[in-house]
Amino acid sequence: MTDQTIQRIASDTPDVAPRFVRRVRGLSDRAITWLFIGPTLAILLAINIFPLIWTVYLSFTNYRANQPGREVKWVGTRNYERLLGSEDIWGYLQATAHFVVWTMVLQVLVGFGLALLINRNFRGASFWTTLILIPMMLSPAVVGTFWTYIYQPQTGIFSYIIDFFAGTGAIDMIGSVTLAPWAIIIVDTWMWAPYIMLLCLAGLRSIPDYLYEAAEIDRANALQKFWYITLPRVLPFLMLAVLFRGIENFKMFDMVVELTSGGPGSTTELASINLKREAFEKWRTGFSSAFAIILFVTVFGLGNIYVKALNKVKS
Amino acid sequence: MAEASLARVTKRFGETLAVDNADLTVANGEFMVLLGPTGAGKTTLLRLIAGLETPDSGKVTIGGSDVTVLAPAMRDVAFVFQQYSLYPHYTVFENLAFPLRAPGRRMGEQAIRKRVSEIAEMLRIGHKLKNKATQLSGGEMQRVSIGRALVREPNVFLMDEPLSSLDAKLREDLRVELKRIQRDLGATIVYVTHDQLEAMTLADRIGILDKGKLVQVDEPRTIYERPATVYAAQRLGSPQINLLPAGRLGLTPGNANAITAGVRPEDVEVGTPSGFDARVIAVERRGAEMIALLEVDGGQQVHALLDAHRPVGEGASLQIAVRPGAPVWFDGKQQLINA
Repeated sequence: MTDQTIQRIASDTPDVAPRFVRRVRGLSDRAITWLFIGPTLAILLAINIFPLIWTVYLSFTNYRANQPGREVKWVGTRNYERLLGSEDIWGYLQATAHFVVWTMVLQVLVGFGLALLINRNFRGASFWTTLILIPMMLSPAVVGTFWTYIYQPQTGIFSYIIDFFAGTGAIDMIGSVTLAPWAIIIVDTWMWAPYIMLLCLAGLRSIPDYLYEAAEIDRANALQKFWYITLPRVLPFLMLAVLFRGIENFKMFDMVVELTSGGPGSTTELASINLKREAFEKWRTGFSSAFAIILFVTVFGLGNIYVKALNKVKS
Repeated sequence: MAEASLARVTKRFGETLAVDNADLTVANGEFMVLLGPTGAGKTTLLRLIAGLETPDSGKVTIGGSDVTVLAPAMRDVAFVFQQYSLYPHYTVFENLAFPLRAPGRRMGEQAIRKRVSEIAEMLRIGHKLKNKATQLSGGEMQRVSIGRALVREPNVFLMDEPLSSLDAKLREDLRVELKRIQRDLGATIVYVTHDQLEAMTLADRIGILDKGKLVQVDEPRTIYERPATVYAAQRLGSPQINLLPAGRLGLTPGNANAITAGVRPEDVEVGTPSGFDARVIAVERRGAEMIALLEVDGGQQVHALLDAHRPVGEGASLQIAVRPGAPVWFDGKQQLINA
């Protein structure tokens, strides 16, 4: 490269840069904003908002997805009337509520308890933390399948242990109408209590030692320390964990299908399991759309009330 | 109220010697300030008295009884932490009443109410009793923390830099208040700080700490005028004491071992008719007074504290002298030589 060429390039360069800058500057801030938001918004509309609105529309029709050629009739609120008037549907909702409430109660107790233990920082605490977290990382389908073996009345370890300590004889967790709802609660607690533990642990770790020391000097007892310091500080974390898990469990499907398939009878047929049956086995698309909307509104409503409570606790 | 004392107390954290063979007696009703830089062992010393740490060796006594292995709750001390250690979800009243409601101290509800409002008035937070702790400003929160210690009439008050998280104005206000309250209650206080101004203004006696060792325990004036070591001399006074080798500025020691002279900046006279030639390098005006940094020939730098209206400007050449009788002398081990 000769000196002249270098000089020419050097003298050209300043010209190129401003031209480019000018073009970018030509776009208004507003345009740049839309350039960034646009694609995301388009995808969101296409795969989230549109299906939601479409489902609302379908819930007022007798549409069946397996009969595309059939004439779609507007049926008004008939789907909703039938849903809310159906004792079966209320049964599924009740099963769901039972499942959600008890899994949350047990997971909070177990999770918080484990967090308090792990937070004592004994030797090997991190090893135990890892071990405890394993169930959470497994696939729900796998968990459901191998718990069917654990619950197996004759060969399963669960039945054996209960029988060994309580002398009940072989117990069939999955086959019994009274025990099956508890069978799924136990498995979900086993799987997800570690998650609650993890978030509680984050809360516990954020509490500075001097608060406990101050309480110690003020002669607070263990219960007072828990009540005045630990609980208020962990509560926001705990409530957040319950929100996440509660919403997930309201929609619980995979693990329970693997474990009980909704049985025996329909004792463990949770709302989302029934919804799937209505939609993709009976192909009552309009009806199941209405059911989906009802579930959505319920979760959305409860979630909002809960978040309000959470914000109050946080402040 | 009671006296508190440490007898040959040592505390290690792993390899670090946090408190090294400390002897300290705080008299009943005395305001003792522990002064030293970060890591000098002040807080550990305080925590040893509180029982939040157990000494490796030595004895801790409060009110004449040995409490070395006693739990904090049993020592009847009050501790104010550097950070506000309040129960955030409770009101100011509940926070202040908490120590009175603790098991083993159960007071009547009426008596609690009376005591809490007394203390709240004293700390000027009486109108905030119904507020939640989180709704208070930093200064108010620290007042509540101090209040929580005061409601209890404990044996000893232990305070770990209670004012350091506050802004300057508030710190000044609370400092004055704290001294007043201490006098009114006749309280025994051990107070940890790295702020020499706090130490000078609050203390009946100051304990100077260096790497876990108590270097000197004395009245502020005594430490200022007759510091036991160079280190102690440097802890009090702003700007710091000037350290000059013997022979400089006509300083001649009366003792053969004396090799360093300590001269307080206010003892350096500037613009004297005779003396040593010096050049003004920098001038810092503080309002009522000014600090001049001077350079004598040979490169020795000296700080001088002067009246603000003295006509001394940067770059000026003038004569300086040390006020006769002012210097304190230190030997080769940086110890004070008693003349």
